[in-house]
This record gives sequence, C-alpha cells and structure tokens, in this order.
Amino acid sequence: MTAIVEIQNVSKKIKGKTIIDSVSFEVRKGEVFGFLGPNGAGKTTTIRMMVGLIGISSGDIKISGYSIKNDFEKAISHVGAIVENPEMYKFLSGYENLVHFARMSSSIPKAKIDEVVELVGLTDRIHDNVKTYSLGMRQRLGLAQSLLHDPKVLILDEPTNGLDPAGIREIRDHLRMLARERDMAVVVSSHLLSEMEMMCDRIGIIQNGKLVDVQMVNDFVNGSETLYEFDVAPKEEARILLQNMLSDSELKITPQGIAVPIKKEEVPSVVKGLVTEEIQIFGVREITKTLEERFLEVTESKEEAAHV
Amino acid sequence: MFKLIQNEWLKILKRPGTYVMTGLLVFMIMFVGGIVKYQLVKENPQEDKNWKQTMRVEVNQAKLELKNMGHAPKQVVEATQKNIALKEYQINHSIPPTQKYAVWDFVSSGSGMIQLAGLFTIIIAAGIVSSEFTWGTIKFLLIRPISRGKILVSKYITVIMFSIVMLVILFSLSSLLGVILFGTPETSVPYLNYLNGKVTEQNMALHLIILYGMKSIGMIMLATMAFMISAAFRNSSLAIGISIFLLFTGGELTGLLALKFNWAKYILFANTDLMQYFEGEPMVDGMTLSFSVIMLAVYFIIFQSIAFYVFKKRDVAA
Repeated sequence: MTAIVEIQNVSKKIKGKTIIDSVSFEVRKGEVFGFLGPNGAGKTTTIRMMVGLIGISSGDIKISGYSIKNDFEKAISHVGAIVENPEMYKFLSGYENLVHFARMSSSIPKAKIDEVVELVGLTDRIHDNVKTYSLGMRQRLGLAQSLLHDPKVLILDEPTNGLDPAGIREIRDHLRMLARERDMAVVVSSHLLSEMEMMCDRIGIIQNGKLVDVQMVNDFVNGSETLYEFDVAPKEEARILLQNMLSDSELKITPQGIAVPIKKEEVPSVVKGLVTEEIQIFGVREITKTLEERFLEVTESKEEAAHV
Repeated sequence: MFKLIQNEWLKILKRPGTYVMTGLLVFMIMFVGGIVKYQLVKENPQEDKNWKQTMRVEVNQAKLELKNMGHAPKQVVEATQKNIALKEYQINHSIPPTQKYAVWDFVSSGSGMIQLAGLFTIIIAAGIVSSEFTWGTIKFLLIRPISRGKILVSKYITVIMFSIVMLVILFSLSSLLGVILFGTPETSVPYLNYLNGKVTEQNMALHLIILYGMKSIGMIMLATMAFMISAAFRNSSLAIGISIFLLFTGGELTGLLALKFNWAKYILFANTDLMQYFEGEPMVDGMTLSFSVIMLAVYFIIFQSIAFYVFKKRDVAA
C-alpha cells in the first residue's frame, strides 16, 4: 500500500498561538484512516489545512505527490471532502447543487452525476429543494458532491454527526466500500470512538494540537495485554488466592467477578489453581477493551506525562 | 471561467429576491410613465407657431442679462452662455424646441432610475461573496481545482453583467413604454450638445445611451466597493449599508466639501459624474476629464486589490 496523503511536520500558528504542533502522518490507498481527538484538539484545523481552506504555517501537505501549498489546483483535484456540516445551496435542488459543483471540476459527464446520486441513494428526492432535506439526506448529498470527480482521497469531517443509527451504518458501509472497491484513501475525523472502531483501519489520535499516536485499530483496542474476567464464588477468597498466584498483577473487582490481566496461555493454570482450592467457576470471559477506554487511557497518560 | 459565471447566474436566478428587485424596477418605470402621462393629459401644452420670434426675444433678453451680470457666480454666467448658444443654434438651423413630450424625453427622465438599478446591483455585489460564507457553502466552493482568484473574478464579472442587465431592462422598457404612451416625435430631433462654447448635433438614441453609460459609472464604482467589503469583510450588511448610504449621499456630501476644500476633487464622488465635462462645469476648478478617469482607475484598482488580497489570504474557518 502506498501513501497518497503525506502530512509533513505541519504546524499552524494563529496570532502567535500554536494550534497544530508539527503533526506528521500519512494515509495509504485503500484504507480508512480515523482522526480521533477530543473537541478542540485540532482535528478540524488539520482537515482544513489538508483541503487548503486555511494556510499552513510550516511544513507541507502532499496529496498524490502535489503540495497543497504550492500546487493547490493539482493537489485538490484528487480530493473530495466535506468539512464540518454539509451546507449546500438551500434554494437549489439537490441535482442543481451537484451540477453546480460538477461544473467546477473538469469534464464531468451528466451520467456521472446520476451515478453518484444512485450510489448515495438519493434518486427519489434529488430534484427537490435542499431546503426540504433532512440532515441525513444532506449528508448523503454532501457525500455525492465529494465523489463527483472520482477522487483518490476522500476527507470527511465528522461524517456521522447528527445522523441516526441507520444513517450512521449506511455511511459506514459506504466508506468501507469506497475504500475497498475503489481503492480510495478515506480520512474521517470523529470524537465518537465506537464509530471509529467499526469504520477505520488505522487511527491517529490528536490532542492539544499534537499527534499522540498512530496505530492499527485492532492493536490499539487490544493494547499490550488482555483482561480475563472470572465469574467465581466466593469472590473474596478467590481474590486472595489469585493475588497470591499472580503477585505482580493488579486485580479488579467487577460486578460480574474479578478481572485479571493475564495472557491466554495462562488461563488453564489459573483455572486449575482455583478449582483445586474449591472455588466455584461459573465462567471465564475475555474482556476486549473498547476504543473508548483505550482512548481515555492514552490521552490521560499523555496528559499526566505533560503535567509531571 | 464561463462555467463559473454560469454557476453564479444559477444562484442569482434561483433566488426570489432577484425577481422582487426586477419586478420593482419594472413597476417603477411603469409608475413613472403613468404619472407623466397623467400630467401631460392635464396640461396639454400649446404649440407655438412663431417659436423663432419668441426665442429671439429670449436670446436678446439673456444677452442683456449677461452684460449686467458683473460679479455673478461663474456657474450662473456659464449657464446663461450655454442657454444663449443653444437657442441661437436652434434658430439658425430651424430646430424647433421639442414641444411635445415624446419617447426620448421619457427615456431621458428614466435615467434617474439608474439609482434604483444601482441599489439592486449593490445588493447583489454585497451578497455574492459574503453569502457563501453565511450559507457555509464557501467550504465546498474553495475545495475545487480552481484558484480563489478565478472564483472572485467570475463573481465580479457576474456583478457587472447583472448591472448591465438592469440597465438594459431600464433602457428598453422605458423606450417601449415611451413609444406606447407618448409616441415617437414627428420629426427626428437631434440632441444639441454644448461643449467649450460650441454647439454640436448628436443622434438622440446615441446620446441617451451615452447618458446611461455615464450615469452608471457611479453605480459601478459603488458596486465594486460593496464587492470589496463583501469579499474582504465577509459582511453583506456592512457592504450594503455603506454603499447605499454613499450612493444616495456621496454626491451631495462631496459637493458641500468641494465648496470649501480643493482636496475634495480626490474624493471618489467628485469624479463619478463624467457628464460634468461634456455639459457643464466640473465640481472643483482645475479638474479635467483625464484627471477624473485616472482617479476612477485608482479607486477601482484599490478596491480590487483589497478584495483579491484579503480573499486569497483568508483562512476559511467558519
């Protein structure tokens, strides 16, 4: 997989304040890259720089090899994007909006417009005024306009914002399909962690204008160790026993039982130990941490590090 | 570029405000036409068979006045001179005074409504950039493979085209209405032009087109200013407010200043009326046609440079 978007040491200063502090990462063809961070961390600012809406103070962003700074027209012709809300001309119909934006790229045939309308499932309502559209429909129209010129890179800022679960799922499926079937690089930003987990291949975490971490989603969620939850009785005896067996691990009492940080290979021996001491075992479950938990872990630890 | 202009027209024509403005313009033309017609029916002017005789008397009287004037203000002296010259020319060339109100008179008085066309052009100019910001559509507009400069140029061209459309509507409708209500004059009367003590004949239609063109300069300059404010400050109310205020008061304010201060000639509005060089006197002594044209060009370049510089540099953050 080759990198199609390269963010190279990008910083943004506004009135002497550093909003984005030398961020570097790249996005490859055919992957969905999630851009994750709390509100105000700099997600939207970074995305705005990627599409040339705001200037770059230092560093450079290259799309398909062209600098967005020096070669804007060539670079941006490979990009389709929705920045924040998909605000369209409300007094025009959805179709007129698409015609309007199609005219701004070189040679987009009429058939292409119909094709993207079909793709996002707006065929029935495309000739109605955008005024009458729901947020979900506007989001889909926004997606349609960003796909008109067959971009190699799709950049979506909070694409699922304000959508209902069905709409979220639909967008998610679309994005995965575009990445897989058309080999597009898709960049999405969000503060909704559960969403990112289902949508993205890799995620980059940004906090206070700095890129904290870039990882594969699976690695990120699972982290270095796994937790096993033992549903046992009596609880207190089991806890003491486990503490003796695994002296250096930290045990956690959960509502269902005891959470123990061990490797998979260690599970049978722990079970055996518990059984010989006549502890009743009702179940052993692997607990996968959600992205949310991991996210909070990562951001909190970085914050602590910063304060020390 | 053609496609961009096409886009701008799509956005103008799909908004109801445009039709309200055009409708108002059409209504005003018809309204004025109606009033003039009503007044004419009431007055029913008498034709003077011995117009040469009457005019000679008037000329002699005016000449007498001119002799006794002495220390009268320059403007009065020149107005009298112009009057005499025009009348003598009419007598010598047997051009009767237009006794009957006809189509050209109506078109000529219609030129007063250029202010209205200017008002609407300013509204369009003030909104054409800033609206994209308020709608939020600027974000979609600027992420196309088209430079910001080109987008701004296409928008400015659209504003100019809009003003031309307004003027064409005004001119052709008042011509049409003029013909219907007042009829064409029996003999084609040329327009008499007075410049530097000489009287020349000019084709009436041509004269009126020049008149419209000259009177539109102020409107174009103010629309350009509104466009600049709109592009640079993203604020359409500010752009509309300032420009319309100046559209209606700029000329008078400058006129007042011009009585006292010589530097008033550098103010935009001292230079927008180029007719002052063809028939009449410049606002401030020593102003020439080329001075005004240069001043207009300077203002134009300043407005456009600010608009383009700020628009190209701006971080689109909202």
